[in-house]
Amino acid sequence: MEPQRKRWKGSECGSDSWTVYPVLSDEQSQDLELVEAFAAPVLNKKETSRLLRELSSLYPMSGLQHIKRVRTVKGSPHPLEVLLCLVRDAPHMEVLSIDSLLPSGVKHDALGEPFRVKIPARPPLTRPQFEQAGKHWPTSFHEDKQVTVALRGELFTAPQKASMHMHMMSALTAAKAGSELGMDAVGAVVVDPSTEKVIAVGHDCRGDHPLHHAVMVCIDLVARSQAGGSYYFDQYPACTFTPPASDTFQSPPSSLPYICTGYDLYVTREPCIMCAMALVHSRIGRVFYGTASADGALGRKYKIHTQKDLNHHFEVYRGVLGEQCEDLTSKVEVYRKVDY
Amino acid sequence: MGTEESFYPSEEDIEKWMSRAFDMAREALQNGEVPVGCLLVYNQEVVGKGRNEVNETKNATRHAEMVALDQLQDWCRRSNLDVRCVCERTALYVTVEPCIMCAAALRLFKLPVVVFGCRNDRFGGCGSVLDVASADLPLTGNTFKCVSGHRAEEAVEMLKTFYRQENPNAPKPKTRKD
Repeated sequence: MEPQRKRWKGSECGSDSWTVYPVLSDEQSQDLELVEAFAAPVLNKKETSRLLRELSSLYPMSGLQHIKRVRTVKGSPHPLEVLLCLVRDAPHMEVLSIDSLLPSGVKHDALGEPFRVKIPARPPLTRPQFEQAGKHWPTSFHEDKQVTVALRGELFTAPQKASMHMHMMSALTAAKAGSELGMDAVGAVVVDPSTEKVIAVGHDCRGDHPLHHAVMVCIDLVARSQAGGSYYFDQYPACTFTPPASDTFQSPPSSLPYICTGYDLYVTREPCIMCAMALVHSRIGRVFYGTASADGALGRKYKIHTQKDLNHHFEVYRGVLGEQCEDLTSKVEVYRKVDY
Repeated sequence: MGTEESFYPSEEDIEKWMSRAFDMAREALQNGEVPVGCLLVYNQEVVGKGRNEVNETKNATRHAEMVALDQLQDWCRRSNLDVRCVCERTALYVTVEPCIMCAAALRLFKLPVVVFGCRNDRFGGCGSVLDVASADLPLTGNTFKCVSGHRAEEAVEMLKTFYRQENPNAPKPKTRKD
């Protein structure tokens, strides 16, 4: 038995039992890459701006605009240090010396003994990358505040999380209904976030058709809600759709959304590559999934939502009811082992 | 080598079925539809023949390949044949490289070989944007072989002609402010 958790205010809905994190692009999530450079202390502070001017014309360090040319070292007799050049741009020299690095023109008696440093090769895109980079050499940083908050798992307010919790619960319920019919235990829900209205609920139906993954079922149910669609899932009571223009406050049918534009998808496990690309074609707004999957295409194997060459990109978040979604998946894997 | 390994269309087959696929694409273009021709051929018989149905179904996944795969499944049911056994010896002939989604769908159906005309630089899943055809995805069906470049220029010309006409159902592109 697990020890009883402390009851927090608002925990009746359970939405504080999980944390949602963004699935960022490779560029935003990759580790720091360093490049070697030569630096030297500035012995005479008054010469700093002249040195900077002359150094940047001698060694422009192109492609490294994010690097600050000067840093301050606390507690040193010469607290300013300046970057001279990249090691790969330096002239060949037997012994490291200022004379061989700055051969002509630059008056360098204001500089101390040069030394090697490692500096960040790429501009930091996220706060964690910026903090990592700063341990080596200071850089500039154009912070995307939303990404910073999202990486702390604090992007969504308590009411927003409560609503996400509710939608993922529907997806879990659909997954269980599908699994009772012998399908893979995966469920999905499409929501219009501007009205909080559920447009479609679906579950995996691949027992009938190898392509009827929960996401594909939902995409077709959304089409049904817009008087289109290719399939009938009427034999599955847990697969449902609601026409978005059914209540009187809605705009006229002529302004029906273009496929899934602006809609949110909740799905219990990370979509496969087919489903992920289907979501690109359908121009989904955002995707929230519970748990990663081995062939997943929104984080694990690919990040289709950030793929540069494609014509539509969207935000992806993972971890909504992660534990409950994980439980579904592990059950499926047990079935799989029996299968083969 | 087993029979699965040796399944591969002959030059003659490729010539014949691609010519049929190009006829379909031309017909589609004349009707103002996406000029993609797509055939699934099993045992010298067309078991799936798709055209793009995105606009009428309002389902953006109804690419010609997806429609053809549904027909293959129905054909197997009607003929009382096992889908898996039929797919093992079925080839897809298509005028344009399948997109990432369709390439994954072909893997899930376990088709062994795809013959296509031109590359699909916007969405291609057989090497142009991603190589889903040969990627290591153990839970996403089987890898498949690709035969590419058959009458590629002709396929590109048809697509160019089509995209010069605007798609009235697509959202207006955002204009970039300088």
